[in-house]
Amino acid sequence: MPGRAPQPHAAHVAPIPAVAGIGLRALHHDHVLANPGASAWLEVHPENYLGEGVAADILIAVRERYPISLHATGLSLGSVGGVDADHLSAIAELCRRIQPGLISDHLSWSAANGMHLPDLLPMPYTREAQDIFARNIETVQAALGRAILIENPSVYLAFADNEMHEAEFLAGLVRRTGCGVLLDINNIAVSAANLGEAPTARLHAMFDALPAAAVGEIHLAGHAVRDLPDGSHVAIDDHGSPASDAVWQLFADAVSRIGTRPVLIEWDTEIPAFDVLADEAAKADAILTTEVRRAEFV
Amino acid sequence: MPNLSEIQRDFASAILAGDVLDIATAPGRVSPAAALQVHRNTVVGALVNALRLTYPSVDALVGEAFFDQVAADFARVHPPATARLAGYGEAFANFLAVQVPTLAYLPDVARLDWALDRCSAAPDTVRHIELDGSVTLEWPVSLTVLSLNHPAGEIRAALGDDAALAVLDMTPAPRWLLVWRKGRQVMTRAASPPAAAFVDAILAEQGAQVALRAALAHSADALSLISSEIFAASFCTIGDAT
Repeated sequence: MPGRAPQPHAAHVAPIPAVAGIGLRALHHDHVLANPGASAWLEVHPENYLGEGVAADILIAVRERYPISLHATGLSLGSVGGVDADHLSAIAELCRRIQPGLISDHLSWSAANGMHLPDLLPMPYTREAQDIFARNIETVQAALGRAILIENPSVYLAFADNEMHEAEFLAGLVRRTGCGVLLDINNIAVSAANLGEAPTARLHAMFDALPAAAVGEIHLAGHAVRDLPDGSHVAIDDHGSPASDAVWQLFADAVSRIGTRPVLIEWDTEIPAFDVLADEAAKADAILTTEVRRAEFV
Repeated sequence: MPNLSEIQRDFASAILAGDVLDIATAPGRVSPAAALQVHRNTVVGALVNALRLTYPSVDALVGEAFFDQVAADFARVHPPATARLAGYGEAFANFLAVQVPTLAYLPDVARLDWALDRCSAAPDTVRHIELDGSVTLEWPVSLTVLSLNHPAGEIRAALGDDAALAVLDMTPAPRWLLVWRKGRQVMTRAASPPAAAFVDAILAEQGAQVALRAALAHSADALSLISSEIFAASFCTIGDAT
C-alpha cells in the first residue's frame, strides 16, 4: 500500500472580508506566496486543485497565508442528471483541507449525455428546471455541510418558453435551499447587452427579487465585444480586460443598494501582471470605502 | 416546451456536432446560431487549452496552429466525462498516432507529457516495499516506468533547439524512462531493461522475487544494474525491515 504523509490542515475557516480580493491563477502562485498580503483574500477554481498533487500542495501553502474562496465551475448544478458524486466528493475533500471562507458555483449546467462540456451553459428558467436546480444545490450543501453561493451567469440567448426572469429563478433557489447569491456585475452587463435589456434594469430586477442579505459576494471582470457577420455584436464574458466603465457604474449602484460585500477581481485570459489586478482591487476598495462613509454619514 | 433533459441533450449535441439548435429562443440581439457558436468556441477552446497544458512538448513540436486543430478534433471526438480537466486527454497519444502518422515519434512524446502531468498530480509521499523480510525500499508513490519506442526524453530536452533536434537519432528502438515527483518538480531518467522490468514488476505488486526474475530475464548483470539505477538513485532509500 502506498504510504501517506501527514497533510497540513487549516484549523479554521478564515472569513472572506468585505473588501476586494483577486482571482488567483497559476501564473501568480509564486508572487502571492512570496508576497504575503499581496491581496486581502484570494479566490480559486477548485477544479484546478483537486487531489494531492503539486497544485493542491501550492493551494495549501497559499491558504496558510490568505483567506481563500472556492469558486467552482464544474458542479453543473443545473444538470438534469444530478451532481457528479465523485466530483462532489473531491470538492468536499478540498474544502475539508483548506476550509474556504466562501464556496460558489454558477446558475448553469455543463454535463449531459455522459459528457462534461467546460462552459456555463444556459438554463431555461422554468419551474421544472428550478426544481432540479434546487435539488442539486441541496445535494451539494448536504455534502459540504454549508450553504453555497450561486452566480448569475453571462447569457447569450434566452429560451422562448421561460416561465420567469433570471432574478426570480435565483430568488426561488434562495428561498428553497438557503443558498446565497454571487452577484456578477459584469455578467449583468453582458447578459443585458446580448438580450437587449437595460443593464440597470437587469441589476435592479435582482434587488427587487432578492433579499439584500442573500448576496454574499460580488464579481467584477472585463468582457469583449465582437462583431458578427450579420452586422450585430455579441458581448463575450472573456475576463480578459479591465472591467468597463459601465460595469464600475453598476458596481457603485449595487453597493449603494446593498452595502459592502467581498468583491472579486476576475481575470482569466490575457492575464496581466499582478500589480494590474491589485490596481483593479484598489479601485473596487475605493468604491466600497465611499459606501462605508456614506452609510456612516446617513 | 421541451423538458430540461431534452434541452440539455440537444444543446450538448449541437455544441459538439455543430448541429443547429432546435429549441425556441426569445428575441435578442444575438442570433441563436451566434450564441451557440460562442458556447462552442468556449467549450472547444477550454478543452484545447487543457490539452495544451498537459501536452506542452507536443505543442512545442507541432506549433500552436497545428496543435489547436488536432486538439480541437480530439476534443470533439473525446469530450471529457468529468469536470476535472487535469487528467483529461489520456487517449491523445493514440489519437495522434492515427491522425499524424508521418510524425511517428509524436505519440511517444505525448506519452511522456502525459506521464509527467500525471506524476505532478500524484502525492509527494513515499511507499514502502518489503523486499525479503529484512530489507525495505522506499520510493515515491509517483514513480512510474514509461516504455517508449522513440527518444521522447531526448526530444523533450532539445525542444527549442532546432539544431539539437535535427541530429537526434529517431530510429525506433525500445527504451524506458523512470518518472517521479520530487517536491514541485517531476524528474525523469533513463532506465536499463532490467531496472525497468524490476520497477514495473514491483509496481504491479508482483513481489521482489518475481521482479528479480523479470530483471534477470533481460541480463545476467541485472543485479548490478538495479543496484546502480534504483537502489543508489536519489529517489530511493534502502532500509532495514526489522
